[in-house]
Amino acid sequence: MNQAPFNLPAPERSELDLGYIRLSDSAPLVMAQELGLFEKYGLEVHLHREVSWANLRDKVVVGSLDAAQMLAPLPLATTLGCGGLRADMVTGLVLSLNGNGITVSRELGQQLAGLGATPGDARANTLALQSLITADAAKQPLTLAAAHSFSCHIFQLRLWLRAGGIDPDQDVRIIVLPPEQMVDSLARGIIDGFCVGEPWNTVAVQQGIGTMLATGYEVWNNLIEKVLGVTQRWHQANPTSHLRLRLAIMEACQWLAEPANRARAAATLAEPEYLDLPESVLMPSLTGQLQFQRDAAVVELPHFHVFGRFQAGFPWRSTARQLLSMCLELLGREANEAELVSIVQQSYRTDLYRQAARYLGLPLPATDNMPLEPHAEPWQLAPGLEMGPDLQMEPK
Amino acid sequence: MTDSHTASTIGVMVLDDHPDRASLVEASLETAGFRVVSMLSSSSGLLHQIEQHQPDVILIDLESPDRDVLESLAIANNHNPTPIVMFSGTDDQAFVSEALRSGVTAYQNQALTPDIVKPIIDVAMNQFRYFESMRQELKETRSELEDQRAIERAKVLLARQQSISSDQAYARMRKISMDKNQRLADVARTVLAVLQKNENSQ
Repeated sequence: MNQAPFNLPAPERSELDLGYIRLSDSAPLVMAQELGLFEKYGLEVHLHREVSWANLRDKVVVGSLDAAQMLAPLPLATTLGCGGLRADMVTGLVLSLNGNGITVSRELGQQLAGLGATPGDARANTLALQSLITADAAKQPLTLAAAHSFSCHIFQLRLWLRAGGIDPDQDVRIIVLPPEQMVDSLARGIIDGFCVGEPWNTVAVQQGIGTMLATGYEVWNNLIEKVLGVTQRWHQANPTSHLRLRLAIMEACQWLAEPANRARAAATLAEPEYLDLPESVLMPSLTGQLQFQRDAAVVELPHFHVFGRFQAGFPWRSTARQLLSMCLELLGREANEAELVSIVQQSYRTDLYRQAARYLGLPLPATDNMPLEPHAEPWQLAPGLEMGPDLQMEPK
Repeated sequence: MTDSHTASTIGVMVLDDHPDRASLVEASLETAGFRVVSMLSSSSGLLHQIEQHQPDVILIDLESPDRDVLESLAIANNHNPTPIVMFSGTDDQAFVSEALRSGVTAYQNQALTPDIVKPIIDVAMNQFRYFESMRQELKETRSELEDQRAIERAKVLLARQQSISSDQAYARMRKISMDKNQRLADVARTVLAVLQKNENSQ
């Protein structure tokens, strides 16, 4: 084997099993494999496509997977022990920002357009939806789906609804459905809309089944979406393997940050051994050229998925704190300050990010928390430390 | 085993895309005195079915996409009158790992104690393993058949090309097998590959 870069210590374990879900933002893991980056760091990695987040989490907990792509709230929820197996779960690397969309049935989309809301205009659509719900108060409440209870999808959906003055707990019914059942359920009228990761919004749009009303980006700019999760126990037993894994994936994220590489990423993900989907459904979001409706104009959204830009790999504790509070709100639970701080610090390991970033010569945020004041434009946290906009929709 | 009075009051729902396996699990649980309803997972009517049957325990294949849906019931009480949690109160990590490795996941009414649920998971685990071993056996039987077929064909082809009896052809392959320490079936496959090439080029 070639000497790994940076004279890193030998990995405790060099053959690793990694889990991911059939989504476009599994690109960092897939491209690290395809570009030979795991190999570069002396790792032999087997990628496993899992069918549910619960399944993926449990395999990481019992050790049949070493690490996995996880929804940003999942390490927090698993450490908290809500709704499944409990284990101390950590992340030292964020894989991607953004990547979700809110899509409704074409019929509902037409009703909202009739009220003057343009597809893709998040605020206009939630306001239009609110007036529709008020007018149709006697009817069955709308059913909206998200892919997991503790996901940015649910949190973005709830924020978006509240921005229009819609109570997500009273005025609509929110259920969980596997991403791959979303489009079919929408076509059959079982649900009226969903918030899900790509490519499932694009699939609904291209088949003429749905209209995309809002992107996750518009609801909450540059929100942490997926992270690399491992158990605390695994990290303690395999610190160098974990470091090598993060380095390989960080290099893949830097490669993905280059817009010119995105078409190749889409073509690779399309292959049968990865997502096994037509390239045409993966291309729009990965190249940032989306349609909100079939036959509508293509809209340029270069930040629909963010990899390796705006310090995307950094596991901000301030964001983790917000996500954890949202998990607790859903559970109807109050947590004391000490418990919140302890779970966030235990799960979101900024020190592990910094350790890897130093090897790659990447800029290091000196703070673990983003400033409270949000930004509408790209900004600098420190000289040379570029950050993206971070606005959130406010409740009406 | 739990006494039959307790068992009969426990409703178990089995969600499995392998109908054969589901009926194995169902039969075993019924023999043990549980009320069982089984159905295919991954149907969009899942939430409705759960509301209707109100099971105390749900057994589901580890590899079912519906697991995220079931876990959401633990927090969305309006869709389900009884909160469902996974392996509630089971601190026995080894038991949980074993169940997961065999492919079984169980969600249970929070009111049930582990000593009631454990026998149910045990039954399912046994049946999942039995099903897996049957599949393995079937696979082995199939490959044995294929081995025999390869040996037969190689014997016939070798006898024809070398103008010897099929017993002599068999003896030659046996000798190669022993000399080279290779499985007879592998020798037969090599012989087939070589002889078929000869036949084609003639």
